[in-house]
Amino acid sequence: MKKDKQYKLDIIPGIIIAIFAIFYMSKISGIRVFKSLGATPLTNHFIPWLWGGSMLALSLWLIIRGILKYRKLKALNALPEGESLFAALWEKREVIFSFIALALYVGFMDSIGFVITTCIYTFVQILILTPVNKWGKNFIPALITAIIAGFLLFYIFRVMLNVLLPVGIFGFGL
Amino acid sequence: MILEGILAVCQPLTILWIAIGVVVGIIFGAIPGLTATMAIVMFLPVTYSMSASQGIAMLMALYIGGISGGLISAILLNIPGTPSSVATCFDGKPMANKGQAGRALGTGVVFSFVGTLIGIAILIVLAPVLCAFALKFQAYEYCALALFSLSMVVALTGTDMPKGLISAVLGALLATVGLAPIDSRPRFTFDLFQLNNGFALVVLLIGLFFAESVRKKQDFTIEENVKMKGAGFTFAEFLAQIPNAIVSALIGVGIGILPGIGGGVSCMISYTVSKNTSKHRELYGTGIMDGVVASETANNATIGGAVIPLLSLGIPGDPATAMLLGGLMIHNVAPGPLIYEKNGAVVYAIFTAMLIAAVFMLLFMLWGMRFFVSVLKIPKNYLLPIVMVLCGIGAIGNANQLFDTYVMVGFGLMAYLMIKAKIPTVPMILGFILGPTFEQNLRRVSQLASSDPFYNHPIFCVLIVATILVIIFSVRANLKDAAREREQELSE
Repeated sequence: MKKDKQYKLDIIPGIIIAIFAIFYMSKISGIRVFKSLGATPLTNHFIPWLWGGSMLALSLWLIIRGILKYRKLKALNALPEGESLFAALWEKREVIFSFIALALYVGFMDSIGFVITTCIYTFVQILILTPVNKWGKNFIPALITAIIAGFLLFYIFRVMLNVLLPVGIFGFGL
Repeated sequence: MILEGILAVCQPLTILWIAIGVVVGIIFGAIPGLTATMAIVMFLPVTYSMSASQGIAMLMALYIGGISGGLISAILLNIPGTPSSVATCFDGKPMANKGQAGRALGTGVVFSFVGTLIGIAILIVLAPVLCAFALKFQAYEYCALALFSLSMVVALTGTDMPKGLISAVLGALLATVGLAPIDSRPRFTFDLFQLNNGFALVVLLIGLFFAESVRKKQDFTIEENVKMKGAGFTFAEFLAQIPNAIVSALIGVGIGILPGIGGGVSCMISYTVSKNTSKHRELYGTGIMDGVVASETANNATIGGAVIPLLSLGIPGDPATAMLLGGLMIHNVAPGPLIYEKNGAVVYAIFTAMLIAAVFMLLFMLWGMRFFVSVLKIPKNYLLPIVMVLCGIGAIGNANQLFDTYVMVGFGLMAYLMIKAKIPTVPMILGFILGPTFEQNLRRVSQLASSDPFYNHPIFCVLIVATILVIIFSVRANLKDAAREREQELSE
């Protein structure tokens, strides 16, 4: 019964996956087929069709299973109450802000450079994961951690290990 | 010749290089995204000025340290340091969550050592025989092996089979991005040259495990129970794990000798086999020693397995052994069937170096465990951002391109949504690794089928039968688990 109540976790992912599978399969026709000497009877379209088709079939299975669960619950008049979207998102604010921070971090790393973006990201991410009422106490330690992390990691990986971390606007003589 | 090889390695300077190689390898293995291959690549120039035995000994040490180090981040951070440690996360992290981080690390380290030893022993004794067997693996056999390994997905799907299968298919589907096997036509690259090589496994792994880390609410909690004694387990527990370790090691060696499969698959297969043959399969994933033993023994035994075709045939099994091959050639050692005659002393030097590196790995990691465990004492709101930055560096370092960090974030988001939708992410890894092997060999088989029918390949037929049996037994076990879950729900 507990699992039946999760019908939305079947229907919504099922629909998203079905759309993705259709999009994926729509792109298969654009792949150029190799027809010269050494061509294989199964072309480079075969496996994408196989995986895409399997994906679509499985997503339909998920959708149908979800609908059946929904009907069962409706017949029993036991449909769970819906949660407000805003409340659900607010509950996950740490995760959402973490993803936004990470996306901005990697997005600006090339233009601004590794050191500065790492310092900012580390500082912001520490604050995101720290309860707001404890920000005051953590402000300075977070700042120091962020600055040390940015410079130290850059030195270790860029200078010592030759990983091509972006130097950005300042260059640091590199 | 044997004595000459042993003496060449048992020099103070060579032993020092081995020790340095092991330490550097462990560090590379422990940092998510940095792999044993990268350690070998970076230190290959360092060996130019060394003698052949010294240089090759150091490269071997880097390889062994790199594969072994992956367990540290897998257990402590739930991010596998190398693809070979993927399955270590399944029980390693839950053990750490239960306050048994030291025990998990101790188990991983000791059984990594056991796996390495078994792998080396098989390498020394059975290399020529196994090479002859490995040569029998052609398109048909590889295709069936990939199918057999993919059938393990059914066991990993758990009680919700369609979602597990979706995950596996999604992995295989993502692996179709890039140049197609055999004809090298670009597929799903959207004219982005960065996608020509497809997505990197390391980047996918970082993304997946990043999502898992972010999902769990981070707070100030500091693990309190991180004290440890000895290796963290008793001698009786060690003895009880021996059968599991032997089976896992044999799987590891078996996968290792087959080029192109690698430690990522061996640890997953041995974990699945261990789970399926266990009397308490329902405890797997909740934090039991057996899971860590299976994964760590197998991935380290793969080292010995991978060196067999490398030395005897000159065929590298994975990128790390490809770099080792380069290292051997730089030092004028030509791997192949004649290596025992032409460079016998170097071969025995390699064996000795591997043994010494394994012992160093055990000592360094057992000694270092108390320091590794102290990572858990760092408040998580400080630890996670640093780990994330390291993940980003690992993604960039994979191919020295920033594009991989975008992919990492994309995979992280996708994995997060999958977890929220209760779609397991583990089968995706297996699908991603095995999809290209399956496709490449299936297409080759399609070329051969008319002139060389499948019944001429007994190994192929055996593997297909084994695949069918694995699927039947796994489905039956999953249905049993699902029924047990339903009963529990009803009783609640």
